[in-house]
Amino acid sequence: MFNKLLKSKSGPLTAELVQSPGMFGLGKVPTRLAPASTTTSICGYCATGCQLKLHLDQNGQAINLSPQANYPVNLGMACPKGWQALDPLDASDRGTTPLLRDPATGQRRPIDWTNAIQTFVSTFKSVQANHGRDSAAFLSTGQIPLEEMAFLGLLWKSGMGFLHGDANTRQCMATAVTAYKQSFGFDAPPYTYADFEQSDVIVLTGANLAIAHPILWQRIMRNERIPKIIVIDPRATETAQAATQHIQLKPKGDLALYYALAHCIIRDKRTDPESLANTEGIEDFAEFVKDFSPQFVAGQTGLSEETIENLARTVSEPGKRVSWWWTMGINQSYEGVRTAQAIINLCLITGNIGKPGTGPNSVTGQCNAMGSRLFSNTTSLVGGHDFTNQEHRAKVASGLSIPMENIPQDSSLAFDEILRAAEEGKIKALWIVATNPFHSWINSGRLAALRENLDFLVVQDMYHTTESAEVADLYLPAAGWGEKSGCFINSERRIATIKPVCKAPGQALTDFRIFRLLASAWGCGSMFDKWTDPEAAFLQLRNLTKNRPCDITGIESYDHLDHAGGIQWPFPEDITSDEKNAIPDAAERRLFEDGNYHTPNGKARILFEKPAIMPEPPCDLFPFLLLTGRGTSSQWHTQTRTAKSEILKKLYPDQAYVEIHPRDARNLQIENNQKLTIRSRRGEMSATAYIAPTVQRGQLFLPMHYPEVNRLTHPSFDTYSRQPNYKACAVDILIGR
Amino acid sequence: MVTTLQPSPEKEAKSSPNPGLRTLIDDLLDEQSTLQTPVARFAEDHDREPDLAGHYRNLIPLTKPGEGEQYAFEVALDRCTGCKACVSACHNLNGLDDDEAWRDTGTLIGGDDAPAWQQTVTTACHHCESPECMHGCPVGAYEKDEETGIVRHLDDQCIGCSYCILKCSYDVPKFSKSRGIVRKCDMCQQRLAEGEAPACVQACPTEAIRIIKVPSNIPGIPERRRKANPTNLFQPERHNPQSGIPHDSVTFPTTRYVGRETPQTAFAADRDKLIPEHAHWPLVLMLVLTQAGIGLLGSSVFAPDSFTQTILGTLLFNAGMVAAVFHLGQPLKAWRFFLGLRTSWLSREILAFSLFAPIPIILCALPLLPDFPYKEFFTLITRISVLPLGFAAVFTSIMIYADTHRSLWSVRRSAPRFFGTVISLLLLGLSIHSPMLRPFAALAIAAKTLPEFIVMRRSQIQGDWSALRHSGRLLLGPLLRITLWRFGLAALSMLLVLFSPWLALPVLIASEILERQLFFQSVHAPKMPGNFGVSSPH
Repeated sequence: MFNKLLKSKSGPLTAELVQSPGMFGLGKVPTRLAPASTTTSICGYCATGCQLKLHLDQNGQAINLSPQANYPVNLGMACPKGWQALDPLDASDRGTTPLLRDPATGQRRPIDWTNAIQTFVSTFKSVQANHGRDSAAFLSTGQIPLEEMAFLGLLWKSGMGFLHGDANTRQCMATAVTAYKQSFGFDAPPYTYADFEQSDVIVLTGANLAIAHPILWQRIMRNERIPKIIVIDPRATETAQAATQHIQLKPKGDLALYYALAHCIIRDKRTDPESLANTEGIEDFAEFVKDFSPQFVAGQTGLSEETIENLARTVSEPGKRVSWWWTMGINQSYEGVRTAQAIINLCLITGNIGKPGTGPNSVTGQCNAMGSRLFSNTTSLVGGHDFTNQEHRAKVASGLSIPMENIPQDSSLAFDEILRAAEEGKIKALWIVATNPFHSWINSGRLAALRENLDFLVVQDMYHTTESAEVADLYLPAAGWGEKSGCFINSERRIATIKPVCKAPGQALTDFRIFRLLASAWGCGSMFDKWTDPEAAFLQLRNLTKNRPCDITGIESYDHLDHAGGIQWPFPEDITSDEKNAIPDAAERRLFEDGNYHTPNGKARILFEKPAIMPEPPCDLFPFLLLTGRGTSSQWHTQTRTAKSEILKKLYPDQAYVEIHPRDARNLQIENNQKLTIRSRRGEMSATAYIAPTVQRGQLFLPMHYPEVNRLTHPSFDTYSRQPNYKACAVDILIGR
Repeated sequence: MVTTLQPSPEKEAKSSPNPGLRTLIDDLLDEQSTLQTPVARFAEDHDREPDLAGHYRNLIPLTKPGEGEQYAFEVALDRCTGCKACVSACHNLNGLDDDEAWRDTGTLIGGDDAPAWQQTVTTACHHCESPECMHGCPVGAYEKDEETGIVRHLDDQCIGCSYCILKCSYDVPKFSKSRGIVRKCDMCQQRLAEGEAPACVQACPTEAIRIIKVPSNIPGIPERRRKANPTNLFQPERHNPQSGIPHDSVTFPTTRYVGRETPQTAFAADRDKLIPEHAHWPLVLMLVLTQAGIGLLGSSVFAPDSFTQTILGTLLFNAGMVAAVFHLGQPLKAWRFFLGLRTSWLSREILAFSLFAPIPIILCALPLLPDFPYKEFFTLITRISVLPLGFAAVFTSIMIYADTHRSLWSVRRSAPRFFGTVISLLLLGLSIHSPMLRPFAALAIAAKTLPEFIVMRRSQIQGDWSALRHSGRLLLGPLLRITLWRFGLAALSMLLVLFSPWLALPVLIASEILERQLFFQSVHAPKMPGNFGVSSPH
């Protein structure tokens, strides 16, 4: 009794942390957060496509989450962004009502939806009437479900009759898309994540998986074949430090290196005749790479002949499974398409394709970049079709009950071309959906000037505070991930669902519902009569894919997707019933196992081109080369969401920092944590010095998440993919305190 | 199997054939605000074993610790790639506050040599063999579980004095403002008791964190600790004082860091970041005012006609005592302070000040009381007791800080400051009635600034990092303005005391308050390596 008085081992404060069985396979959970039921959703950040288990209360409202065990992608794990996926929904700067800028005061004022929709429609109609269908454009995203992407693309082009629209996937995936399309005849990343676990040699190039895709690094760690992990990267990334070998080449020395590898492999006759039989262009390629001896490229790559020869042997070892994986280090380059194709070529000539543990594999960035590639109706016609192909247009027109003449035959301008047209005054009105180009676009300083040239800017976003929303004339409040349903497609082509588990704040509506309103108000509502909800839209889109490489006509419903643990495309109707009901673990499928490609003659094309010169190399005035990339696993892109989680904020630097080599720092008498100004020809920013030999001498690294960074980057683009070259420009350091 | 929701109500919400825009808007807003009714699927087996049990079965011991053993975290540094999921999982699965997690990560940087060496260090409570948090707690709100060795915090026992935060070399206990108490990692003991893995262990994608059993024999500090072990971050023989990693010889943390050798040149990524520590204002006021009060009371003892000083000293002292209460998150529970007397200097301080507290009151009351037998003798005894008891009480204050093992707060460095305050005020008080003592008062004020100058000088010397150098750089960096005010006011009070000690008094006290603020804010608090550029306050 007395002891009890002296020691309070229980009470209200202790009770807050008491746990009880969470049921639903969860193990113990805090008692006050014990779920009444659970559901699943694919994470809304990156393209890994982890499935999360949402813990719901009596009202179906999410109160907590944990990663879904047994899902074939993430196997019960998630990175911090996934774990904190619910946090950004509660942010105080969520949009709760449409906002319209008052021309008199320049201030944004709340208006109701009726007003907002009518303003949108009347403005765009008048722009169209006065300046034609080329005078407006939308810029969208890889972050919304594919049903919404398709709705937007179809509403814009077939419903409203405009032509130009592109997505921020241009900033992340366009290069891989173009490379695959040209080489394989279809944009088809051939792999499944199981390949990480089945490789003998894993080459990661321009990819910092440990930080950018932690769950994919997990898959590598599960590989029991004791693989060689080779990282090719100018920077000693976290991944490079964890690899078995780091090949620290000179920035943009990659294309020459891959040609040199092909040179050695062809010279040593280590090619795979069986695989070569399914290709065309090998003779020209063999001739072309004759010049690229290891000695010849040593200067350009900064690598010794021995290193190159050894690497060539490692990636062409007969009987060994070699897989190549790349992300933005390859894609965001002025010659990214050819570099990606140089990797594809290496796989084709060594037979490392279509078999377990192999492949030229592009790991995607955004959660639904892959959905965008098939369904956004921007670069390609919805459902994996071609705008220029009359048969395709007819198929889509009849499939969606759209008049044939409402489907344009010509293609849209790309992101950078849309912005240039806006600068030139040709595009008068811009509609930005769920992306933040005023932060993320290369040389972002240009955007502010461009804004002045626009008659009307609409931004549709979860937050009214993004750099882009702040400057909009009309802001439309959108519901976000967790407040809507639909499908994402992940990097390995796996289609899976997301669910509404939270109420959107105020009058925020899902993008799908906003599109319905706009269709109705524009007067093309009848075209979308069947688009009552995302699943209804999905079933129509599914039907469109029939007989395309991405045929998913075998998918029955959202429920089917959930039960199967997601389904990889292709999944045609006539797939055997065995496969249809396959248990999730067996449902890992890769492409091109039969050596048939999607080109007219069924052969993969070997494409190549002489390496180009870096658009803005360092010089006397700007002696450092600036690299950019992901900072930490807890930051996402422009941070509109990750900056809203108190937990994530603890895990990354709150101010921009710049990595600099210790010897460069010593020469310039720079100390750790010193404030520096980094300047390029286009702008400047301040950053704290982080001195470490992670970068080579003469190079600097800035994480892309801080809005200032893209004031510096150089607006050069890949010729074929129009993807911006974010990762190499010349800068100088100004030392200030 | 995967759980799904019922079919979407959107399907049922077919809008009428020709809806006006407004009707459609209303319909859609209505839809948007409806969440599906969750229905647990019939197929969902509620009572099944946790889905991840197979994953973590090998990551926790099969049996409970035996005699002479305890649970400990083991971190495989070579498996950790810095994804930080452990932090998130700790937050989510323990249902913590928005910004609260009991696990944290930091980075070690290998130094200037290529190839680049960086290491993420994930850290939670080390469930030390000799937990200083527990020893410092005045009310026994910590327990080291006899069976598991887990250091538990009793949330309902805690008075929120935050002394454990100062005592822990690893920055583990965290103050919860809304609750007025401290909370910390308990190794998910509720999970471990049922054979489930702690949140962080469950969540690590690369299985870098596990629970192991380690020998726990505190007495005698066994040999094994003295053996150099290149993978143990805390090993004294490997310990590089410049690394910013705390030394293990105080608490004997049980966490084992294995799998990758840490180079001698490695240092904490946040080592050079100059962030002032918490000011602890109630403690600043408590220390300065009680010490000033004791000094003034002491001076009144020597000057029979100094009733004003007695009153003023009493007021100051008691104001300090009241301020102390504001430092407690749960003051009503503080009556249990005696529970910690055996190990906690905070308990001893509370006792010492409680014993001293009546003396000033008695001193004030005595001249007003009617005569009683032995009144003069009683008065004399009381007066004589002021300084010895006062110094004894101040000594317990010094020991509170010295016992945190922080460089700036060692007895050598804090005794001159704390006793110095008493002596300055004592001399100032005396010089009211004895003008010839005024230069001595000024001298005392000047002498008292010496320890601070010594620390500041450290920052000017080029060379290796040290905790004191860090303090010096704080004083001359982010805290410079306060430092200047502190010395400016000290100089002013020296000048004033020569002419009018009464005028000098408030100036001196203000100067001392700033001195004490700097005492708290410029200290280097040992902690596990943090992240570069994250300005999380302590």
